[in-house]
Amino acid sequence: MIGFETVATTGGLIIGALFGLLPLGIGLRFGKIMAGISGFIACLLAGFACGFLGGVPMMILATAVVVSYAYVNRQDPFTSRAALDEVNFEETRAEFAIRQLAALGNGTRGFMRSLLRNKTGFLGLLGILFFVVVTVFGPLFVEYEGRARLDRREPGARSLLQPPSAEFPLGLDWQGRSVLSHMVHGGQKLIVTSVQAALIATVIAVVVGSIAGLVGGFIDQILSAIANFILTIPSFPLLLVLASVLTLDSNFGLAVVFAVLNWPPLMRAVRAQVLSLRERDYVEAARALDLGMWHIISREVFPNMISYIAVNFIFTIRVAMYSIVALVFLGLVPLQEPDWSVMIYVGRQQGVLFNPEASGMILSPIIAIALFQLSLVFFTRSLEEIFNPRLRSGL
Amino acid sequence: MSTRTRADAPVPSAPSAANGKRQQGILRRLRSNYTFNVLMQGLVTIWAVTTFTFFLIRLMPGNPVQVKIDQLMNTQNVTYEQALAIAAGLFEFDPNEPVIQQYVNYLGKLLTGDLGVSITSAGTPVLDQILRFLPWTLFCVGLSLVISFTFGIILGLLMAFNRGSFLDNVLTGFASVTAGLPDYIVALLILLIFGVQLQWFQVGEFRGGVNPNIAPGFTLDYLGSVLKHAFLPVLVYVLGSIGSWMLAMKSSTISTLGEDYITVAQARGLSERRVLTAYVGRNAMLPLLTRLAISVGFVVSGAVVIEEFFQYPGLGRALYRAIPSRDYTTMQGVFLVVTSAVVLANIASDLVLGWLDPRVRVGKGGEK
Repeated sequence: MIGFETVATTGGLIIGALFGLLPLGIGLRFGKIMAGISGFIACLLAGFACGFLGGVPMMILATAVVVSYAYVNRQDPFTSRAALDEVNFEETRAEFAIRQLAALGNGTRGFMRSLLRNKTGFLGLLGILFFVVVTVFGPLFVEYEGRARLDRREPGARSLLQPPSAEFPLGLDWQGRSVLSHMVHGGQKLIVTSVQAALIATVIAVVVGSIAGLVGGFIDQILSAIANFILTIPSFPLLLVLASVLTLDSNFGLAVVFAVLNWPPLMRAVRAQVLSLRERDYVEAARALDLGMWHIISREVFPNMISYIAVNFIFTIRVAMYSIVALVFLGLVPLQEPDWSVMIYVGRQQGVLFNPEASGMILSPIIAIALFQLSLVFFTRSLEEIFNPRLRSGL
Repeated sequence: MSTRTRADAPVPSAPSAANGKRQQGILRRLRSNYTFNVLMQGLVTIWAVTTFTFFLIRLMPGNPVQVKIDQLMNTQNVTYEQALAIAAGLFEFDPNEPVIQQYVNYLGKLLTGDLGVSITSAGTPVLDQILRFLPWTLFCVGLSLVISFTFGIILGLLMAFNRGSFLDNVLTGFASVTAGLPDYIVALLILLIFGVQLQWFQVGEFRGGVNPNIAPGFTLDYLGSVLKHAFLPVLVYVLGSIGSWMLAMKSSTISTLGEDYITVAQARGLSERRVLTAYVGRNAMLPLLTRLAISVGFVVSGAVVIEEFFQYPGLGRALYRAIPSRDYTTMQGVFLVVTSAVVLANIASDLVLGWLDPRVRVGKGGEK
């Protein structure tokens, strides 16, 4: 789809530059030039990397941050100490939007600050960013080698495999192709599929959990029973069987099957949260003010769960990647090169898993997957600490 | 005063209504009985999983019966009717019966412990196969669970007691890293670093469950071989799970340390050692026991990837081997065993926890 790639393209660069004009313009208009320029660069990079997919969210975030710098000391009518008749409670829609945007920007800045303060979390973020940057921008610099390169056989060598050398930093694989090119091009599908799987599972869990918690009664019982049922079945063996019965031919199908088996834990947590939040005073107050179901969900209940959902989302990405790599390793999903997990599978099929010369080809994807998983773990640990200050002293 | 209170008390209802109430009372008491509820839930889950796998296999597009028929027609040159008859014999059902009837028959056989006959290795009852593979998995994964739970508890306690010390930092780092790595990645790294690069051992020596050249029996040779072959898988399982035990025990201990009864125990002048073991340690372990019971349930399913990787003859590998050959009766059987194990473990954990911690019993079963 045009503008929705997950690799760097020129079109994305233009999209990013256009989106970046908004924060830049606001920054220039209100004299916050540094913030404006940083916002522009952020949008440019995000757009360049993912087109609309990265550009739109980044534009909103960057604009919010710039606005939050410019939006200082506007008297909030609800916390004003001035006499009641002097305060202007009227607020146009635009003013409301700007206030919300500034709040979002402030939140983002505070979040970034606490992330920078937390060493392991920052390390995890750097790790994630490293892999994202390599998979997104790497293809611009490293050309993909898809065909066997028989001409690279060293005289007297038994195979095309080569350990790392100056010319090929990660060595050559069993067909004489540069491992580096496969590493750079092979992470994208794995990461995107894992994120998709986690996203679908999270959406199912949040929707079903909220319904169960809010509606209650018979529907709640049925939904909870289904969740408990899926929780009881060991999910990885079932995933194996389903993958073979359904003959999945697309990564998206795999993501859906994974999501269907992995939403219950979060759903139960969301349901419990909704049930407990329902009884809180501020929700009761909102109900007494007759603010409507949608308002209560979006303004009162959801913001209190978002941290938990975010942490769980990243955790699910990790589990999804674990399952997908395992499925590929066992040869149960269709294999497409280039892919990190396919590299391990092929290494095993070709019987070179334990060949010292294949170290580059085998170790590279293993270490990449291990580091990516560790980065996610460290990042979620610190996210938990940021969202839940009580944990800071504990863990 | 007292007479007035008695007069205000609700008048007992009429005899006929009381009789009806007593009859309802038995049912209601059964329903609110903790043990009964836990058992019923478990039975319903097992039945649901059995039904689910049965219909998954019978009604899915490209269902195994159809696949087997196509396969027979292509490979053995038989007509559709003959292929159907052979397939029906293999799957042990009468194709002319409606699916519901087949389902009832299947359930009836299950009740007598008959899991059917393997499709690929014709004539071998699935139950025999499962019983052949199950001990290996139980031994290997069970051993590693015991090791990682014991050491995880001890190390977690140590970490919590010496919070912020050098030891705590090192152990927390170790636990976070090992808990974050997928088990098969650990397995690959161990083999590649110590087996291939450093040449500390021959990778091939560790394949399988036991050296096939040694006669089975309670001889030193045989048991040694079993232990040697289990060493690497156990190491991988332990490394993969000890980190989460350590971290869970640490946080549980830390929250227990803040409880009032610990302060009271200290105020009574009990020795520190006594407070730490009898008051902190035992209470901190409670939440972990539930997790232990659940892990025991998942022991049976083994780790498919690890067992396949080390060619370990366990149940997970049996399941994986059944997939490409579309041996659905085996799959069904393995699934039934695996899920039953999880359900039984859940029941055990609920009952044990209810016994150890009366708050659970009252909270869950006694609610009005």
